[in-house]
Amino acid sequence: MSGVLTISQPGNSVVTDLGRFRGPRYGLPVNGALDQFSARAANILAGNEDNDPLIEITALDFRLRTDTDILVAVTGAPVTLSVGGRTCPQWEPVSVRAGETLAVRGMTGGLRAYLAVHGSVAAPVLLGSCAPDTVVGFGLKLAEGTQLEVRRSVAPIRQPYFDLPLFRLGLSRPEFGTELVVDVTDGPDIDEFGDSAGLLFSSSFTVSGRSNHIGLRLGGELPERQSSAELLSRGVPVGAVEVPSRDELLVLHRGRGVTAGYPVLAVVTSMSLDILAQARPGHTVTFRRTTVAEAAGALRTATRQLENLRAAVTTVFGLLGIGAQPQWHDLAPAVGS
Amino acid sequence: MPVNAAAIEVHESGDSALRVVAVDADREANWTTVHRLAEWLESSGADGVYGAVPTYDSVLVEFDARSTSARQVKAFVQLGLRQLGHADTQVRAPREFDVPVVYGGEYGPDLERVAGQQGLSTEDVVRLHCAGSYVIRCLGAPAGSPMMDGPGFPLPVPRLKDPRLSVPAGAVAVAGRQAVIAPATAPGGWCVIGQTPLTLLNLANEPLVPYMPGDRLSFIPVPAADFGGYAGRYLEPAR
Repeated sequence: MSGVLTISQPGNSVVTDLGRFRGPRYGLPVNGALDQFSARAANILAGNEDNDPLIEITALDFRLRTDTDILVAVTGAPVTLSVGGRTCPQWEPVSVRAGETLAVRGMTGGLRAYLAVHGSVAAPVLLGSCAPDTVVGFGLKLAEGTQLEVRRSVAPIRQPYFDLPLFRLGLSRPEFGTELVVDVTDGPDIDEFGDSAGLLFSSSFTVSGRSNHIGLRLGGELPERQSSAELLSRGVPVGAVEVPSRDELLVLHRGRGVTAGYPVLAVVTSMSLDILAQARPGHTVTFRRTTVAEAAGALRTATRQLENLRAAVTTVFGLLGIGAQPQWHDLAPAVGS
Repeated sequence: MPVNAAAIEVHESGDSALRVVAVDADREANWTTVHRLAEWLESSGADGVYGAVPTYDSVLVEFDARSTSARQVKAFVQLGLRQLGHADTQVRAPREFDVPVVYGGEYGPDLERVAGQQGLSTEDVVRLHCAGSYVIRCLGAPAGSPMMDGPGFPLPVPRLKDPRLSVPAGAVAVAGRQAVIAPATAPGGWCVIGQTPLTLLNLANEPLVPYMPGDRLSFIPVPAADFGGYAGRYLEPAR
């Protein structure tokens, strides 16, 4: 028995993880799943480690076929998830049987969905991460016919009673709206903008179509730098809010170049970067001022929530015999992979 | 030269990073300070600290706010500064790189523009660009570009009004009072005066580029006819 997933409709999808944390010191962006909470949740729901490789599906419909029984979880933007023609819940573990097709369709509310497979998938690694880097040309972008080796098979889990939902793991899911509230802390260069910095909080901004994993561009009433002194290039954090032109704000995301010579007006919190990862062109963004201590507190609350989810998953999987070593069916490497 | 720990500012930079700035009057001392601090942070391997990005007078310290805090990382940075302030640690001997460059024409589409703007001949621009060696100050975007001070042109070089959507790997460019080589194809607003046929980026290595901040680099003009002869060769230290 081989364990191969075959991509039948790639849409716009890649294999990624939480990011290349050793990259920035060498001038490479961290990259990795743009919505980190959803990616972690998908892996936890599939019984994986947070940082295991998983599939990030951006905007477009996606389909794959498996030739072995697998257990998966789909999180992130609301989609229609179907397995072998049956509609299945997101944010829950789902069994897919050998020969069945899994389809992710109709993504409208957000921009990115995450598909984790129990045991994860094999992917090439650069500096400790499989996250694609479009600048150096690294990464596994999925195409029609791409075959992914799955490392473990899980026999189908069936709910014997009236097709009641199999799992109720109780994770409170992020909301996906069109009017986004994004928390920021003051940037190290906020003083450069004088009183105009207040414009960041008093008006709303619209996500431009020229946004991607490197950064989002937002139109609106822009704060203006008060001095014109040349700045030395500095390392800039993911989430940095800059005003590089008179047209748009730039909010750097995980694909950002690690150094830049623009003053950093504000920095989007880690939690709110997940919200921006789901922002579509045309969505509106209002910025809300917070502190580093509050932002870190919110992040730790979300982390505890994920830890509770992991505990629940471990218990349930234990009862079902998933994750108990003897039942984990480790597959031999697929032929030709 | 010990680090002057008194002339340091630490700024919050979001919930997962700090910007440490050296504010001594001596720019060279600031550069040394931030690079030594970055090395110290990397080698100490504190829990939750992802790494450090040093440039000219600042270093960005990135951390996992789940397992540590800005306050703890700040204390760790201050510990590092105290240690570096006492110890006169050995600085790594710089390596030297020779970079062949084909100037002008299709390889350096902005050579004439830069010459005109500087009031120099293209030959003079090439001569000045090849005079002496450059210190690599930091690794920048994209992909670990070697950021260098110079060359000794009379005027700063303005950036292009319309940045190019794609500048090829190997492009040798100038802007302001800085010089750079592009390790990877990327958009760019700097003036491209030449191109090296050598490959800088090797995805099989860690780090992916062969040089580090503090190493020295010299440009050597070569005729366009020689460009193809270097195909597939990687940049390696000459000395």
